[in-house]
Amino acid sequence: MTQKTIDKRRDSGLRDTRPFIAKLPAYLYMLLCALVALFPILWVIMSSFKTNAQILSSAITLPTKISFEGYRMALQVSPILRYFFNSVLIALISTFLNVFLVSMAAYVFARTRFKLRGALFSILAMAMVIPMTALMQPVYQVITSLGISDSLPGLILVYMALNMPLTLLIMRATFAGVPKSLEEAAYIDGAGFMYTYLTVMLPVAKGGLASAAVLAFLNSWNEFTFALVLTKSANVRTLPLSLSYFTSQFSFNYTALFAAITMAVLPSILVFALFQEQVSQSLVVGAVKG
Amino acid sequence: MTRRNAGWITLFLLPTVALFLAIYAVPLGITLYTSLFDYRLFPSRMDFVGIGNYVQLFTRDTQFHRALLNNLVWILLHTTVHIAIGAILALILYKKPRGWKAVRVIYMVPSIISNAAVAMIFANIYNPAYGVLNSFLRGVGLGELQRNWLYDPATSFISVTMIWTLFSGYNTTLILSQALSLDDSVIEAAKVDGASRLQQDFLIVLPLVKPMIATTMIMAATYMLQMFDLIYLTTRGGPGVSTTNLPLMLYKTAMAENNYGYANTIGVVIIILGVVFMTLINRALRSRED
Repeated sequence: MTQKTIDKRRDSGLRDTRPFIAKLPAYLYMLLCALVALFPILWVIMSSFKTNAQILSSAITLPTKISFEGYRMALQVSPILRYFFNSVLIALISTFLNVFLVSMAAYVFARTRFKLRGALFSILAMAMVIPMTALMQPVYQVITSLGISDSLPGLILVYMALNMPLTLLIMRATFAGVPKSLEEAAYIDGAGFMYTYLTVMLPVAKGGLASAAVLAFLNSWNEFTFALVLTKSANVRTLPLSLSYFTSQFSFNYTALFAAITMAVLPSILVFALFQEQVSQSLVVGAVKG
Repeated sequence: MTRRNAGWITLFLLPTVALFLAIYAVPLGITLYTSLFDYRLFPSRMDFVGIGNYVQLFTRDTQFHRALLNNLVWILLHTTVHIAIGAILALILYKKPRGWKAVRVIYMVPSIISNAAVAMIFANIYNPAYGVLNSFLRGVGLGELQRNWLYDPATSFISVTMIWTLFSGYNTTLILSQALSLDDSVIEAAKVDGASRLQQDFLIVLPLVKPMIATTMIMAATYMLQMFDLIYLTTRGGPGVSTTNLPLMLYKTAMAENNYGYANTIGVVIIILGVVFMTLINRALRSRED
């Protein structure tokens, strides 16, 4: 029997064969969830095409004609592209460094023996249960004494650390699942420790690396609290942080406010729409390993 | 491992250990240590007070009592109502009704965009002048219910709560992934035995996905314990202290009042609560599986 027919049988066994009326509550619930999720965002996008007067006269009516005036004004008042670029830079660099450096430690924990290995891992995994928000003042103090407060490197360092426990757990489990024979073959061929890690282990750990990277990127991209605590200047502001200034920047210019919010959320939604399978799978990996 | 690898092992561990020391261990040490001091910046002082800060918090500080209560209520709601909303959707979607994939993706959207954006969107939805909520109430003839949702002491708490309660996409994704990986024969056997739809869902599938539900509950509890951005960007904890939780109070105490010792005492309370919730939920839901 081919895989396809097996799948078909599985599906037919599970399929709901009751009449439509019995399935109605389930469909209503699905519809409700979809509406609850989409309505707020659609309302904001719709409002971004209306004029101020239209927004104030009625929140629900559709725009009479599509106007991009709000977007023009928003970009004039707030350097959203700059904030966007800051966020991309911080998220990419912190994700890369986090995954690259923490994977090395994860490999050592998964595959080598050394004194105090278990104890050291337990201590590092403790980071998993420390609510970082509780440490905002001393983290600020540490970053300041390192001389990197109010700077991109300061945020990058903290975001690397925020994602450290999860990456460590995901990558240790990933490396532990790789057959030992692969490594042994490399060693027999005379390959060194570093060479084996880079050319044999890392390539077969691609799945774990991708999951860890997706999660680290999402967390860094959306992070707000430490961006607020650790930065002051507008030139290092991230996109989420810039949102907190929108209300005062666009005071009474609601069209521009809605346009600015739209510009801030659309990239995330587009990227998610493209990679949703990978993102969902990473979330599952993170939850199971974490 | 051979001796010559000791150098590599150290090198591989070094970045992660350094990161842990700088951003977790040292700040944790500072938090625990300074919670025993009257430690502030303006006027600059560091006087040992023993457990004075803790006594002050628990016996006299009514703002802390309210923040703690709010935090606990929100954790309770988030680990029950919020998870239930997502779990019900997962129990519907795992039977793959028409449109299940689309609903799964759509329902994830609010969870994928940044909290800062969600907060801004809801600040506008609740806006008394042009928000869609008041506009809707007027439209359906319930105009007398209109109010300034976030700034009216009677509704601020529930309005803030709604911002995160309905969006349970993470939980749906996680629980759904485990439900889809179940062996269908169990459910089919129940079906043959004449189990009704609801019996199948609640007596057979639900217990089988319990480990994942425990995971989502722990994630929800630690997430809500640390909730900051959605409150900060909508009510700043107000009006009064009606929507203040522990992180909000910590932030105000540390960043606005520069009262570091007292702020870090709140930090210690957050850390202890985190450990307590993890242990409790693990004990309650995971004991029999492991």
